[in-house]
Amino acid sequence: MGFDRRAFLKIAAGASAGIMVTPVPWKLLDDVSIWSQNWSWIPVPARGASTYAEVFSKMDPFGVPMKIRKVGGLPVRVLPLPEHPLGGGLSPLSIAEVQMLYSPGRLRRPLLRGADGKLTEISWPQASKKLQDELKNAGGKAAFISGDETSSVTEVLSAFANALGSEDMYLMPSEAQSAAKAAELMGIDARLGYDIEQSDHLLAVGANILENWGTVLRNRRVFANSRPHSFRKDGGEETGDSLSLVYAGPVQNNTAAVAGAWLPVYPGTEGILALGMANMLIEAGKTVAARDFEEFKALASAYTPEKTAELTGVDGKKLEAEVARLLTAQKPLLIVGSSAGGGAGPIMAGVAVNALLGNINKPGGLVLLPKAAKVLKGASDLAEIYRNDLIKFFEREEKPALLLIHEANPAFALPNAQACAAALKAVPFKVCFSTFMDETAALCDLILPLGMGLERLDDVETPYGSGKIGYCISTAVGRPDAGVLNTANVILNIARRLGKDLGFELYADILKAKAGLYGKGGDPLAGGFAVESAERAEAGAFSFRPEVLGKALAPDEARGKLRLAVYGRASLGTDKTGIPPYNNKTLRADELAGSLMSVLLNRATAARNNLADGDKVSLESGGGKIVARVRVFEGIINDTAGVCRGFGHTALDEFSRDKGANVMEVVRPVPEPETGLNFWAKAGVDIKKA
Amino acid sequence: MSANKHFNVKWGMAIDLDKCTGCGACMVACQAENNLAPLADASNKQRVPNWLVVYELSNKKSFPDHEIAYLPRPCQQCAEQPCATVCPVVATERNEEGGIVSQIYPRCIGCRYCMAACPYHARCFNWFDPVWPKGMEKALTPDVSTRPRGVVEKCTFCHHRFMQAKDKVRAGGGEVYVRGTDNKLHCAVPEDGYVTSCAEVCPNGAIVFGDLNNPEHRVHRLVTGNANAFRLLERLGTDTAVYYISRREWVRRLGDNYLPDEDTQKPKQILPKRH
Ligand code: SF4
Repeated sequence: MGFDRRAFLKIAAGASAGIMVTPVPWKLLDDVSIWSQNWSWIPVPARGASTYAEVFSKMDPFGVPMKIRKVGGLPVRVLPLPEHPLGGGLSPLSIAEVQMLYSPGRLRRPLLRGADGKLTEISWPQASKKLQDELKNAGGKAAFISGDETSSVTEVLSAFANALGSEDMYLMPSEAQSAAKAAELMGIDARLGYDIEQSDHLLAVGANILENWGTVLRNRRVFANSRPHSFRKDGGEETGDSLSLVYAGPVQNNTAAVAGAWLPVYPGTEGILALGMANMLIEAGKTVAARDFEEFKALASAYTPEKTAELTGVDGKKLEAEVARLLTAQKPLLIVGSSAGGGAGPIMAGVAVNALLGNINKPGGLVLLPKAAKVLKGASDLAEIYRNDLIKFFEREEKPALLLIHEANPAFALPNAQACAAALKAVPFKVCFSTFMDETAALCDLILPLGMGLERLDDVETPYGSGKIGYCISTAVGRPDAGVLNTANVILNIARRLGKDLGFELYADILKAKAGLYGKGGDPLAGGFAVESAERAEAGAFSFRPEVLGKALAPDEARGKLRLAVYGRASLGTDKTGIPPYNNKTLRADELAGSLMSVLLNRATAARNNLADGDKVSLESGGGKIVARVRVFEGIINDTAGVCRGFGHTALDEFSRDKGANVMEVVRPVPEPETGLNFWAKAGVDIKKA
Repeated sequence: MSANKHFNVKWGMAIDLDKCTGCGACMVACQAENNLAPLADASNKQRVPNWLVVYELSNKKSFPDHEIAYLPRPCQQCAEQPCATVCPVVATERNEEGGIVSQIYPRCIGCRYCMAACPYHARCFNWFDPVWPKGMEKALTPDVSTRPRGVVEKCTFCHHRFMQAKDKVRAGGGEVYVRGTDNKLHCAVPEDGYVTSCAEVCPNGAIVFGDLNNPEHRVHRLVTGNANAFRLLERLGTDTAVYYISRREWVRRLGDNYLPDEDTQKPKQILPKRH
């Protein structure tokens, strides 16, 4: 029997029918698609039981409580902790904290720079011994910088500096420092706070309260709660906002995006705006029982609406409307601030306006918070430490014998960053406690790996901007193998060995003692410790200090073709962290293209400078130069260039490096008249095509 | 091919653009929750896998009349999906109670028809294998598988959280779907028992998540009869599950390609329902 055409067709038909019926080919196809996607180099998430721990972010300076989800004992996710007094949601930086435990820029082992300039790994005992010897030799000629104003580590460093006889204890410049200076000059023996919860009208001047000023998560929760989702039927709109928000500043930033109104003002003129408003309030009959009110009134009267409008660039009609709103609101509140470098003068003017509104220590007003508690022998008050100006320190000819830096990146963050880096290099022995290999660590002689907040025991006392005193303790939840230590314990140990009695031997005991002072029973180190107190400081005799204000806020000549508005984005992390791994995906193409960042100019300003959207330009000032690409953006005031800070890292890891330029290289600090601080909000730049 | 199906439960969002400040926290949370890999250079947006993108909107006026707003865009979970209808291998479909459009990675052959079809650019393609810096894979969550190069992915409304929430109901001895007072079936998962990661982290409460069909859910009340609520490209007839809310008219007008003098409140659908 031959194999004829009919037989072939029969077999073919049978095979086709068989294939349709049998699952084998389908299973094979399915397997092919599964196994062709199942490669050994693609990680498979680990499994295990989930557990949760409550901590407080030490990385995000804007007050972020959080809940950590651990799987099989290892942290995998940061989740919000809405029940915490400062909680509600998360910031883009804090969400990334778990991933940052494994950032390529992390420091894992102590590093010592040899005579050849190369860094070599050493053990912790060797590092500690080296540090002890150097500190012993330096004695009173050692200097200290802390980048964490809410932590008791600063207190430990201050007590140790005092014990060594050093007067050089510094904090990185911050809003809290400017506010402390403002309070001191006005005779207020307390910290400034803002009771936004109870306010019904909030005018934020320069303070980007919904992105990077003050207790951001709390600010945002208050904003969210005060504004019901809008609902409009054909019959009309249902509103019910319990807080109206207005933002005044040079750039239409994240706060301005949702504020009821944006008042554009030139950068560095926020204080003048407040003074002009004070004048209008006084004209409207507002007065304060202060010894120098008449002198203040005379000063403010020079800032007529016309003059204020001219100096600040604000629209006269809008100015009048805003003052009218302050006068009609039940609980108006003015917050004057900046993202650092604004100086004390504008904050003083803000206090003056709040005093005229009669809201000091009133619900919804400017509140005076008692000073932070101290437990260490010989430590200085925060206010005393704030008096020391870090910029002056770096400008000083005579350098300290040793500089110890805790969690700070002055070589990147300070204005005139390159000069700071050069001054830093001139210090004979520089040591830093740092989590990441940042620009400052890269210049140091001894680099000590500091645990991330998730890996260490630390505390947070009342972040600036809060309306209440708060104290939280964060316990370690991270990787036990990280090879990191806590600055405070290393210093306490060395102090003991050098015979300096600071009153404590362990950081944990300091935190326990503090928790006792803030008043709550139970084990403060068991995790999730948080207390809040509505205690207020007495307002006391308060003065306007017009003789200081007049000079501090005096308009000065332009320092370049364009004014420079430096703004920030939470997504870019901090000076210490750089851009967290996931966050550079949040940057839009009009913010960063390749390695070129944008400079914001409005259309009129661009045209006046013969520039167009997309032009590559250089911005120069005082010998510094950065390159950027013009983004024509109508949300910026005239004759002003807006540059986002946080770009331009040269150290850290590939998620931060080679992205844009560091604007602080073209920002020059100047002494703020009469206040003793340096400030840089009035910086200017020249711009030209690159 | 996925046909339009009616479900008793329709998970959806109302995103309040008057509350969103564009901080990007939701984008970061989305990546961490769904095990997306970080990228050192994320400036080439065509190549960046992102399930949720926050766009900046402008009223296009000159200074000082300029205004901005931010618009977070997850997958719109269309009931009439342009994407699922073109997938040749049924790797994406809307086939489960809740109305979430699935994405089945092992089935995806990477043809990217769905990406071309999606009018919202909600889908992204893995041009490369995902790479985490050494050790960072330890922070992957066990809830979502990682995806290799060559497949398309997109927002799933954190579907794993829906599964976990249902499991919780079952573990408590309850039925997942129960009849409500309106005599319709509703999901017994409580309103806050299933929330997407983006909605959970938003400090401004800009993203409200819930069952659009359940009159007791906030999201239902927010979008029903609210003239300030709109959907993106509504006239395409995609019947999306993501609503946006804004009191600003210029923002609402950006939701679709309106002519300058066109009334945004006119009947929306101009394309035939089946397309
Ligand atoms: S987290 Fe909230 S405010 Fe931030 S971008 Fe997302 S939706 Fe907007």
